[in-house]
Amino acid sequence: MTLNRRHVLQGAAALAATSALPFGAMAQDPINVGMVTISPLGDFGWSTMHNRGRLHMEEAMGGRVTTTIAEMVAPPDFDRVITQLVRQANCKLIFTTSFSYFQPTLRMAAEFPDVKFENATGSSTLPNMAIYNARFYEGRYVQGVIAAMKSRTKTIGYVATFPVPEVIHAINTVMRGAWTVDPEMKIRVVWINAWSNPAMEADAARALLDQGCDILCSHTDGPAPLQVAGERGAYGFGQASDMTQFAPNAHLTSSVNNWGDYYAARAQAVIDGTWETADTWGGLTSGMFSMAPFTNMTPEETSTAEAVVAGLSDGSIDPFAGPIFNQAGEQVIAAGATLSDDEIRAQNYFYQGIDVTMPG
Amino acid sequence: MTLTVAILLTIVTAATPLLIAALGELVVERSGVLNLGVEGMMIMGAAAGVVVAIVTGSSILGVLAAIGAGMALSALFALLTLGLSVNQYAAGLALTIFGLGLSGLIGAPFVGLQRDGIARIEIPLLSEIPLIGPVLFRQDPFVYASFALVAGVAWFLWRTKAGLILRACGENPTSAHALGYNVLRIRLYAVLFGGACAGLAGAYLSLVLTPFWTAGMTAGRGWIALAIVVFASWMPMRAMLGAYLFGGFIILQLHAQSFGVAVPSQFLAALPYLITIAALTLIMVLRRGTGAGSVAPAGLGQPFTPDR
Repeated sequence: MTLNRRHVLQGAAALAATSALPFGAMAQDPINVGMVTISPLGDFGWSTMHNRGRLHMEEAMGGRVTTTIAEMVAPPDFDRVITQLVRQANCKLIFTTSFSYFQPTLRMAAEFPDVKFENATGSSTLPNMAIYNARFYEGRYVQGVIAAMKSRTKTIGYVATFPVPEVIHAINTVMRGAWTVDPEMKIRVVWINAWSNPAMEADAARALLDQGCDILCSHTDGPAPLQVAGERGAYGFGQASDMTQFAPNAHLTSSVNNWGDYYAARAQAVIDGTWETADTWGGLTSGMFSMAPFTNMTPEETSTAEAVVAGLSDGSIDPFAGPIFNQAGEQVIAAGATLSDDEIRAQNYFYQGIDVTMPG
Repeated sequence: MTLTVAILLTIVTAATPLLIAALGELVVERSGVLNLGVEGMMIMGAAAGVVVAIVTGSSILGVLAAIGAGMALSALFALLTLGLSVNQYAAGLALTIFGLGLSGLIGAPFVGLQRDGIARIEIPLLSEIPLIGPVLFRQDPFVYASFALVAGVAWFLWRTKAGLILRACGENPTSAHALGYNVLRIRLYAVLFGGACAGLAGAYLSLVLTPFWTAGMTAGRGWIALAIVVFASWMPMRAMLGAYLFGGFIILQLHAQSFGVAVPSQFLAALPYLITIAALTLIMVLRRGTGAGSVAPAGLGQPFTPDR
């Protein structure tokens, strides 16, 4: 468990200790990297994976970085925590790992121009503030293809969180993938209005299975829907980490987040003085996320799925290629056209064929 | 299994943790103590239950640990509010915040681990009854325990002398004290019982409903349990009605969504509290002019210090 203040103080103590060293040793002194997470590091999802990325960076960088982490920082406390990280823990690079921190990070980056900030998953940059995210929708496309191959009832169940573009384009992309295999595929969606509420995720999963779905996708990072699929003899996908162990007979694959390499590269850039602001949206090729080994699939199904992963990686499959119509029948992506990154990030409509009402 | 049976089954499992926690808190409040720390005790039960079950490999030890963890936290609350006459509202809120934090600390090394859920037990003959059988008598032990708790608490509060004394402590602690009853000790027992129930409810989440640990996994169910006690106007049978009503709303809205009916889920999330307010209003309107006072125990939330 990391208590904010204690770790900030530890960082400060480390700084005090190093500043007492002879000047010659200063050149090799590690830089301190800060991280702020919105949910507990034990959420077994988004924040857990950022924390694993931090540990991976520490390991990969040897002794060249130290880190200070503050977890469960509510946005109103953000400014105070960042000020401590900069002033007391002497952080030169700070990862703020929630979209809720986007505006606050813009503000604090302007206040501390000598510190580099990186926000996941903001939408604009400053000279000393980069943004980063992964193209998780590519994993959704793969899930859709696999779901269509495995489903007997031709119906996918989706445990959704909030009707925001990230979730909406994920649902759209699952179906684009599924329709490449079987244009008859349908989807049912339940919004649970939370990023984590395991018992309600499980109840939502049961409701979907009871209504005829036999493959479950989940936008919450918890293993509850997959576990329910395992209990009921259905199939499901893991999210954020490899969740095979939670339902060995139901798990098909997981989208596994992996921020560690990116963190190490960015920390190295700060050390080398080559850090520049960037808008990084990494796909399957970037290593920011990957598909866990396919399980419970026949060799043919596995090779089809692998071909889709390869196609997404080399760009021969574009999940947002037109023509695409929305639920009202209006063409939203013309034939031969595709969506820009900003248009994907702003998607607020379902495609034709997705019989799901947008919640109010 | 028909869809109706499937829906009813999940309503029972969704309602059970709410019911168990609400019954515990009902007894606590009947004794005149308001413990707002249900959420904190519940999540400590969830953490202790799954941690001990994973370490020892025994679900029974896990359940016992969950009950113990809930009681330990409630003992801390009792020390503050009964021993030191600290403000009950403040101490209860502190207990919730403390429990949420401590459970995260205890559970941290167990994130990503799981164990098999506790199996269901079919009751012979009864489970063969159409509709009711599969819904009520093919359930896990916690569901049966919750039925027994409703009957037990109702019997204890209204059919035993000890229950009468406990209620007297909640209605008028000074009189109970004057009659020679040890108000603080009786309240202590009630608070510990409430802690045990909250811990048990937490264990239901982490050992049956979703058998793994995630920080914050109670997700506000402790607060719904508190609302149920008020909704039930401090009556055990009505608490059962309330728990099943709230559980029913949760499950039916999930099914409605899956069916494609547009339901504003924010409204549904607020519904338990709206219904509680409506129920209280209704009760008070019906009581107006009858001379009956408040439905809440008269001494609820007020510290009692015996004069020596």
